Amino acid sequence: MEKDFDRMNYYEMLDIERNATAAQIRAAYNAALQMYQPDSMVSYSFFSRDEREKILTLLDKAYFTLINEAQRTRYDGELDPSAISESGEKSAAVKKPVNIFEINRQQLNSPARKIQNAELKAKIAQNPLIQEIMARQEISGADLKAMRTGLGVAIEKIQQETKIRLDYLHDIEEGKTDKLPAAVFLKGFVRAYLKSLCIEPADAISVRYIDALQRKN
Amino acid sequence: MAHIWPIGGGKGGSGKSFLASSLGRLLAKSGKQTLLIDLDLGAANLHTMVDVPYPEKCFSDFVTKKIPNLENAILETPFPNLFLISGAHDSLDIANLPYEQKIKTLQAIGKLKYDYIILDLGAGTAFNTIDFFLASHNGIFITTPEPTSIENVYRLMRAIYLRRIRHFFSANDFKALGRKVKEHLGDDSRHQPENIVPIIKKEFPEKYALIKKDFNAFCFKLVLNQVRKQDNAALGEQICKFIKKHLGINVDFAGNISYDEHVHDAICQRVCFLDRYPHTRAANDLRVLNRTMSNAFGEQMMLNYL
Repeated sequence: MEKDFDRMNYYEMLDIERNATAAQIRAAYNAALQMYQPDSMVSYSFFSRDEREKILTLLDKAYFTLINEAQRTRYDGELDPSAISESGEKSAAVKKPVNIFEINRQQLNSPARKIQNAELKAKIAQNPLIQEIMARQEISGADLKAMRTGLGVAIEKIQQETKIRLDYLHDIEEGKTDKLPAAVFLKGFVRAYLKSLCIEPADAISVRYIDALQRKN
Repeated sequence: MAHIWPIGGGKGGSGKSFLASSLGRLLAKSGKQTLLIDLDLGAANLHTMVDVPYPEKCFSDFVTKKIPNLENAILETPFPNLFLISGAHDSLDIANLPYEQKIKTLQAIGKLKYDYIILDLGAGTAFNTIDFFLASHNGIFITTPEPTSIENVYRLMRAIYLRRIRHFFSANDFKALGRKVKEHLGDDSRHQPENIVPIIKKEFPEKYALIKKDFNAFCFKLVLNQVRKQDNAALGEQICKFIKKHLGINVDFAGNISYDEHVHDAICQRVCFLDRYPHTRAANDLRVLNRTMSNAFGEQMMLNYL
C-alpha cells in the first residue's frame, strides 16, 4: 500500500511477468502510456506536472531496457543475480526470430525525447554563435558543423535519427558538391539534419544552404 | 448483521441517489428487507426517487430527539420490502451534524435489523460524509467518465485514506506525524496520504502494521455511471488498477451503467426508473450490477462504532 512508483522494478512498473515476451512488453508499455499521458482520463488530476513527467521518463526507461535483450539480461542480473543463469537456460531452448530492426531506437514523441529536445532548444537560445549563424543569409556546410558541435551532438546520433548515410552527412558538412545527391534530396537531408538538432526554421535554413551551394557552382 | 453499502462519489450529479434507489429497489424485489437512508445531509432527495413525496418523519427528528429511536424514523415506501429514512424535512443546519450525533447515528444504524442498508451520501469530502462512508468495508464509489467527476472521486478516496490513517493516531501522535512529514517531504510538497504512509512505516512501524491490516480488510467498489457509447468501456478497470498501484487501496470495478435519457424522464415523472423503463440498457446494467455486488460482498462488519 505504500509502494512508490520509482521504487518499483521495471516489470512492476509495466505490470508484466518476469518472463514476458517482447510483444507483451510493447503492449504493456502502450497501455501504460495511455494511462499516464497528460490527456488521459485515468490519471488526470492525480499527479502534479513533475510527478507525471517523472513517471513517464521512468516508463520510457523501463521499456527501452526490457525491450533490448542485452540490457534486459543485465537488468535481470541486477534485480536478482541468482535468476540470470536460469533465464539463460530457458531462452536457449526457445527459438527466436532474427532481429532485423533496431528496436531500441527512441520514439519521436516519447517523453524522454521531448525532454532532450527542450534541452537542445535551450542550448540554441543561449549560444550566441548559433544565433549568429542562423541569422546569416548564406549558410555553408562548415556553419552546419559549427552548430552541431556547438550543441555537442555527435554526427552518428544524427545518422541514427535521420537514417541518412554517414558519408552523406560528412559531405553535407564539408560542402563536397560532386558527391552530394540531387538538390531535391539534399534539401530534405539538410532539413532532417536541422530538425534533429531542433534548429528552427529548418525549412528556411535548408533553402539558404542550397542557395549558397548553387551560387558557389 | 446487515450488509451496509454506503454510496459516495465526490461530485454532485454523478448518480449516487439514483444508484441507491435502484439498488434498493432491486434488493427489495428479490425479497431482501432493504432500508435506504438519506444521509446526503442538507441536500436530501432520495424520497423523490422512491415515490414518497410527503415523508412524515425524517432523520432530523432522530437527531433532535423528537423520535427516540432510529427505527421510529423509518417510513414505508410503495414497494414491498423497501423502507426509507428520509431527509426531506431535515433541519436546515443538519449538514453540520456534530460529532457525537454522528457517532450516535452510526451506532443506531448498526443496530437496525435489515438485510441490506444503503446509505446515500452527499457530494464533497466533509468529515460527516467520509465517516458515514467508512461505516462499512463495502463502500461504493460512483463516478461518471468525465475528468471533473473522476477528479473528485480521487479526492474523496484520498480524503478517506487520510481520515482512516488519522483514526489510528491520537491527536498528539498525529501532530508528531505532521512534523515528521514536514521533515521528510519539506513544506512545499503535496502531502498526499500515499506519501505519508512510507513515513508512518519508518517512524511508527507498529501503527503501520495496524493500518495495513485495516486497509486490506476494505473492499471498495467502483461504479461508472452515464457511460455513453463513445466512452472507453475499459475506463473503470483502468481506474481501479491505477488506484491499486498508486494509492494502494483495493477498489474492485463493479460495472458500467449506460447513459440513458429515460433516467431523466423517470426522475421527472417521479417514478422508479426500473419499473417505468425495465427494458432499457441502463436498467439491464443495473440488474447485472446488483447481481455482481450481492455476490461479491462477503460477511460484513460495522467498524469501530459498536
